[in-house]
Amino acid sequence: MKNILLVAAREYKQIASTRGFWVMLLVLPVVIGVSQIAGRFFRPQTDAAYVLVDQSGQYAAAIDRRLNLNYQRVELGALSAYVQRWELGGIQPDAVWANGERWFSDDQIAQFVADGGIEAAWEKIAPSKPSAAPAYVIDPPTYARAPLPADVTVDQGADAFAEGLAGPLKGDEIDTPEGERPLALAIWIPSEVSATSPVRMWTNGAPNTTLVDNVRNEITRVQRARALESSGLAPEIADSIANIAAPVDLSAPPQGAGREQVAIRSALPLAMVYLLLVTVMTTGSMMLQGVIEERSNKLLESILATIRPSELMYGKLLGLGAIGLTILGVWVGAAVGAALSVQGIVADIVNPSLAAIEPWMFGAMLFYFLAGYLIISMLYLAIGALSNSLQDAQAYLMPVIMIIMLPVVFMMVSVVQQPNGTFPIVMSWIPLFTPFAMLARLGAGVDVIEVLGTGAMLAAFVAIEIILLGRIFQASLLRTGQPPKLGGFLAMMMGKHTG
Amino acid sequence: MAILKLDHVVKRFGDFTAVDDLSFEVAEGGIFGFLGGNGAGKTTSLRMALDIIRPSSGTIEILGRKPGRENASEIGFLPEERGLYRRMTVLDTIVYFGRLKGMDAAPAKKEAERLIERFGLSEWTKSMVEKLSKGMSQKVQVAAAMVNHPRLLILDEPFSGLDPVNQKVLEDLVLEMAKAGSTVVFSTHIMQHAERLTNRIVLLARGRKVFEGTQEEARARLPGRLMLVAEADPSTLPGIATATRAGAANGWNSWDVSLKPGVAPGDLLQACTQNGFALRGFESHRPSLHDVFIHLVGPEQETQP
Repeated sequence: MKNILLVAAREYKQIASTRGFWVMLLVLPVVIGVSQIAGRFFRPQTDAAYVLVDQSGQYAAAIDRRLNLNYQRVELGALSAYVQRWELGGIQPDAVWANGERWFSDDQIAQFVADGGIEAAWEKIAPSKPSAAPAYVIDPPTYARAPLPADVTVDQGADAFAEGLAGPLKGDEIDTPEGERPLALAIWIPSEVSATSPVRMWTNGAPNTTLVDNVRNEITRVQRARALESSGLAPEIADSIANIAAPVDLSAPPQGAGREQVAIRSALPLAMVYLLLVTVMTTGSMMLQGVIEERSNKLLESILATIRPSELMYGKLLGLGAIGLTILGVWVGAAVGAALSVQGIVADIVNPSLAAIEPWMFGAMLFYFLAGYLIISMLYLAIGALSNSLQDAQAYLMPVIMIIMLPVVFMMVSVVQQPNGTFPIVMSWIPLFTPFAMLARLGAGVDVIEVLGTGAMLAAFVAIEIILLGRIFQASLLRTGQPPKLGGFLAMMMGKHTG
Repeated sequence: MAILKLDHVVKRFGDFTAVDDLSFEVAEGGIFGFLGGNGAGKTTSLRMALDIIRPSSGTIEILGRKPGRENASEIGFLPEERGLYRRMTVLDTIVYFGRLKGMDAAPAKKEAERLIERFGLSEWTKSMVEKLSKGMSQKVQVAAAMVNHPRLLILDEPFSGLDPVNQKVLEDLVLEMAKAGSTVVFSTHIMQHAERLTNRIVLLARGRKVFEGTQEEARARLPGRLMLVAEADPSTLPGIATATRAGAANGWNSWDVSLKPGVAPGDLLQACTQNGFALRGFESHRPSLHDVFIHLVGPEQETQP
């Protein structure tokens, strides 16, 4: 065992000293970091302020109300998901938040606001939350209306108004009831809105189409109601018509069953499939080059005088496995760390994916990952031992990689569409593809029986592969001349090699 | 006690017999030469002794035991075809081999540093092997073979590829190791190293042993040769097998003379006196191991003198 560990440590050190390893190790953390930074710069401003001057007196209250309703809709959705995740619907079964995240109508939102909104709902839920559940964090309103700064005049027209806000619109923050915020939008509504006297808006240059659309839609809605009123309808009827929305009861699948949800729940397992493919192909190539180097520069004889070929083989596998685990640890750690410590696209994907995975699945994922790593590493080892040069190795590798990669790529597409369809299930029972198929399907929900069955079959396959390919590896180490033909391979596998 | 013993060992690769019924013993202590031309079966025999490959038949004992990696801690081995991990430092390389042979990290490092200094590689201690010249790389390999103070040091063609200065360094090291108590077995097809270093030798040809014994015993296998300067043809003298005229000067001829088996040069000198044979010069020729090899094996299994 000591020799195996010595070889493994050397292999690990050798691969870890290459630039390629570090590039691969750090690529995901760097991408996550960059995506977080980029997200901050390029995503629409979420915590922003707006300034509104409504000289007509008809629109300001409606705009404020609309933005608040939208904010409450987002919070209601998030709170409903929280309630469903921690099974808290029984606290008030008839509450709008008690039955899971779905599409909420304006009336439902209005009622929610009338009942006190998100703060009142959380006050009701908080005392009953389980101790393991984190407290629900109420985000501040996305858009806060800033009072007009004292030095900004409104009586000298729109241009003077905009000029007065030049500083905040160029990046200076502005005071709001929610604290200082960047000014995303300044809105000037004239006393009479018309084609010759339009509503004017100024942005700070950052993309914020949601806010602009909301404001424009609300002004349109109010104008529509006024137009109906002016045609003789009673104001209540005019308002009612302007507010007409198609009565749609949108049924969403329960969490974890819809395609989008399946994709999100499967994000981590699917990422592990890609990680497995990328790491094993890359580090396997490094190990293959190492074996070819050992063979071509004749240092194997010195090694084999001190340790058994099997110790050399297991040491290499162990070293490579440790490299794989290092990359896995750093990548998963970076993703989970990013999900837990920051908000953004990574957190949006990883958090639901983590929440969907039962604790035992982590063990299964690790098992499938390592088994897949072993299966392909062993192929690389045997090919390295058979090859006299990288050109030789490529001739063997190309068909092997194609045989593995193509079905896996098709299977990945199939899993996202139909995780428990015939193709992924069949692939799960072909040992060469079992790790990929089972990893990909785990997030969508797989029976424990299937996990145990494929796991047992996979373990047996790995053991047989190590024995048979191990014989090729050991018989080929000191071989000279051209690589053997098919009969030679079979003889090696049967242990009938000379030497 | 025999530190290495081969008993009727045969090794076949398919239809080719690389080692054919080879038996010999190496006693503990001293330096043992394993001689033969290219393809004589030297490397195959040593690989079998180290359990890198298995014999087709026959038995091998090394250190009084069966061949196997459990012997590695007492053996040092320098293979004929050498190589090192290119992206490992000199120190790490030697320590790694020491550790593979069962040494703990600290003693392996200490001994590696001593050998690095002994080989004049101190300034390269932390350098990657890929930065070393061929000669320096070979020194690192020799150091890796010696790092565990082996009881038995097996060197397969250790001098090939080394320049004369480094050949001398290695010869000194081999002598030093033998003096320190190690048994050194080295194979070579360069006979001058064997002549300078070995106590006993085995000569191989085509996988078979053609001689085992001391250098003097090997030389005794050759008929005596000498150079006579005489006016007359010495062929008629008793004890002479052949006499060939090699040259002439001032009326005297030089004769290249081969003696019959068992006839010593002194016997011929006595015969000249008894027969009144006029001699002007008499020079006895000591055969080299190369001569012995050519005599025993034939010129087609050529070695380097």
